[in-house]
Amino acid sequence: MGELVKIKINNNIYEAEKGEPVLKVAKREGIDIPSLCYHETLKPQGACRLCLVEVIEGKPRGITTSCTLLSVNGLEVMTDTPEVQKHRKIILEFYLAQAPGSQEIKRLAEKYGVTEVKPSKEIDPNDPLGGKCILCGLCVRVCDEIMGVNAISYIGRGNYTKINTPYFEKSEVCIGCKACADVCPTSAIQIEDINDKRVMKSWSKTEARLKRCERCGKYFAPNLLIKHTCKIYDELDKEVKNLCPDCRRKVLSKKVFISKKRIIIK
Amino acid sequence: MKVISIEALNRIKEKGLKKLFPDKLRIAVGFATCGIAAGGDKIFAEFEKIIEERGMQVYFTQVGCIGYCKEEPLVNVTLHGKPLVIFNQVNKEDVPKIIDGLLKDEILGEKAFCKIEKWDHVTGGEIFYGEGFSHITNYTEIPYFKHQKKIVLRNAGLINPEDIEEYVAVGGYFSLFKAVRELTPEEVINEVKQSGLRGRGGAGFPTGLKWELTKKEKSEVKYVICNADEGDPGAYMNRNEMESDPHMIIEGMTIGGYSIGATKGYIYVRAEYPLAIKRLKKAISDAKKYGFLGKNIFGTEFSFDISLVKGAGAFVCGEETALIASIEGRLGMPSPRPPFPSQEGLWGKPTNINNVETWSNIPVIIKKGSSWFSKIGAEKNSGTKVFSLVGKVKNIGLVEVSLGTPLRKIVYDIGGGGTKGKSIKAVQTGGPSGGCIPTRLFDTPVDYEHLKEIGSIMGSGGIVVMDEDTCMVNIAKYFTEFTQHESCGKCVPCREGLKEASQILSAITEGKGEEDNIKRLKEIGETIKVTSLCGLGQTAPNPVLTTIRYFENEYEDHIIRKECKAKVCKNLINFYIIPEKCVGCMACSEKCPVGAINGEVKLVHTIDQEKCIKCGTCEAVCPLEAIIRVSKQSKNISKTYSG
Repeated sequence: MGELVKIKINNNIYEAEKGEPVLKVAKREGIDIPSLCYHETLKPQGACRLCLVEVIEGKPRGITTSCTLLSVNGLEVMTDTPEVQKHRKIILEFYLAQAPGSQEIKRLAEKYGVTEVKPSKEIDPNDPLGGKCILCGLCVRVCDEIMGVNAISYIGRGNYTKINTPYFEKSEVCIGCKACADVCPTSAIQIEDINDKRVMKSWSKTEARLKRCERCGKYFAPNLLIKHTCKIYDELDKEVKNLCPDCRRKVLSKKVFISKKRIIIK
Repeated sequence: MKVISIEALNRIKEKGLKKLFPDKLRIAVGFATCGIAAGGDKIFAEFEKIIEERGMQVYFTQVGCIGYCKEEPLVNVTLHGKPLVIFNQVNKEDVPKIIDGLLKDEILGEKAFCKIEKWDHVTGGEIFYGEGFSHITNYTEIPYFKHQKKIVLRNAGLINPEDIEEYVAVGGYFSLFKAVRELTPEEVINEVKQSGLRGRGGAGFPTGLKWELTKKEKSEVKYVICNADEGDPGAYMNRNEMESDPHMIIEGMTIGGYSIGATKGYIYVRAEYPLAIKRLKKAISDAKKYGFLGKNIFGTEFSFDISLVKGAGAFVCGEETALIASIEGRLGMPSPRPPFPSQEGLWGKPTNINNVETWSNIPVIIKKGSSWFSKIGAEKNSGTKVFSLVGKVKNIGLVEVSLGTPLRKIVYDIGGGGTKGKSIKAVQTGGPSGGCIPTRLFDTPVDYEHLKEIGSIMGSGGIVVMDEDTCMVNIAKYFTEFTQHESCGKCVPCREGLKEASQILSAITEGKGEEDNIKRLKEIGETIKVTSLCGLGQTAPNPVLTTIRYFENEYEDHIIRKECKAKVCKNLINFYIIPEKCVGCMACSEKCPVGAINGEVKLVHTIDQEKCIKCGTCEAVCPLEAIIRVSKQSKNISKTYSG
């Protein structure tokens, strides 16, 4: 644990680690700040611009994103000033125009007072992300920075940007881990397990073969993912790696019972 | 041939001076991109041919650009002991005439534009070129040059940019010698701090302070970067600086590297600048040969090297964090700061990035001292700035003036005012993210603070002049479309906000504007400015916001009256042929790409408004100015001239 500092959010004093993003502190303390592109495992990138706060004391004075605002002693912010409300509303209007298919955006827009909704854009039936993607980039980053796979990336620039596999071709490197879909704030990424295959419908219909549980015969996880995981966690017990989660639990609990040891998987 | 001592450096200087002032005639053709575009390469070839044919004893070479683009192609001639004479708008036919005169030790009066008797090369001091030629105007009498102060462009257009010895002849690399041999890194930084130099890339951050921050970071490896990703439409200051005097940038960067403790520098230059790249490559390789780059510079412990990185043409890569990402081979997207590049820059190491022009000032500050430098310019704005003065102004070119010079002086005294007797309406400073400034504010001093006050920015130094024929709504649309296109797409206000602004502006120029458009443009403009991640988004709404601020009446004309008074917006105008003026020459009907013009030889022509696509070709080719633009709303003219 690093040095502790005191910061003020909405006139209340909170303890924070020095350099800790204000958004993280707010989330921990249950203070409402909407955000879409923040994820604890990744470095804040300030892409969605929704977590705006107003800095009353400290730098940079005025409106800024709380995910990139780092805690220092004496920092004072307000999360719901008229300025914050005004800009947050317009940003949500931009999102409504961009992602007409997203329920999450509709919910946020309603919550933060976007009453007058412009005639919303038609959802492109060919959009593999169903008009839900807000280009926050979490999927790209988790695939790169956490999984180290780099199966998907940005394509194009500006408002022509899309996220998909290179050249919209089936990915040869995707391991089917589904991490992208897990972190997506608008549930835009469609992935489905069909018999012995996992199909990344949003990612140019990339497919990953599923492994069959040695014990019960159920298909449970992509072969490549298991291989990849074994590379990272070589302590993963060889006995259980070919088992589905249900059977794994059974086998492991038996082992724990015998050895009286706990297995902690990070 | 590594130079270690001051004596050796002086010997190179002597060699260089012999090239600038040879015993024989010296002819140099302006050979920067602007000169070549105007036909300089053909002039060069012509001179070469005739010189060879006649077996003349000439020191024939090329120089960069002195900045007077309107007068290109330019040719410099030095007869031994006489002033340097500049010939302007030289064409192929002029070449033999000029040479004939020179063979008789004469200068062809009518083609000689001006002469230079002495020139302050700043780092090399004042150099005397020669006296005589009373029939030729001195350059100090030419309004375009008279009001300029050349510090960055101290050698541009006078030395051969591909000859390192000529650079040394005019004081080059003496500042580097002084820095590494006589000054400590702290003293260098202090000198730069005291000089008051601020970043010339646009933001105006104090350069010395930036260096100090990078120096303070503890790291074995540090980098310096030269930002040469110039991308503003109509701006080419940096291009000319690289093409005309590349060594000053290398010298500046090396001094910077010495003071902050870096051993490696990168120049990030856009790939669309092939000549700048070629000259920088040559300059780097020559500097290595002479030992101005490489190991143990001037026999000291200090080693420094520079590499070139070519940018693939994204405007946003001029933003420093995006630029770093691009050098690393990642997507050119800005990242939030902190960490600043001075803390975690290229490959996570402390990095100091400065613009081409900032680096170019460094040798001057070291040579002349901070107190000399800080006296030039205005309060908190020391030094000069190079502007590219373009658009609807008589004298187009690169203009270097002391900071704090009023806009009026730049546009009228140097620029010569509007073209074709038209009156000037506004200027836009600072590139696509700058604001449009109306003539009534032309007394504003051009410095970082004053420009910001009136809603614009210094930017990297573009000045686009607009006259009565410019539609301000259309201008706002043009620049917004540009920034929308160049937005990296990472953050939503810039990506989606500029798109919406662009759509609204398009609708207004098409006559489909609605009453609440102005309010909405202001509202989203403000949000884009306040909430965008990087400088691109934070400044991109400036053209819209300033045109609304200063020219709201034009928006109202378009929205309420569906009228474009400047007669630019195609949906709101028609082209008409004035029957009284038309002689039936058929020039227009032959050129019309859609066959919309009817008429026989020697009979009055008419335009079929249904077919017309309003390309303006007819207007441009009509020799009698019989074709005019009329507002669709002005029924009278339509009736009179609709044929």
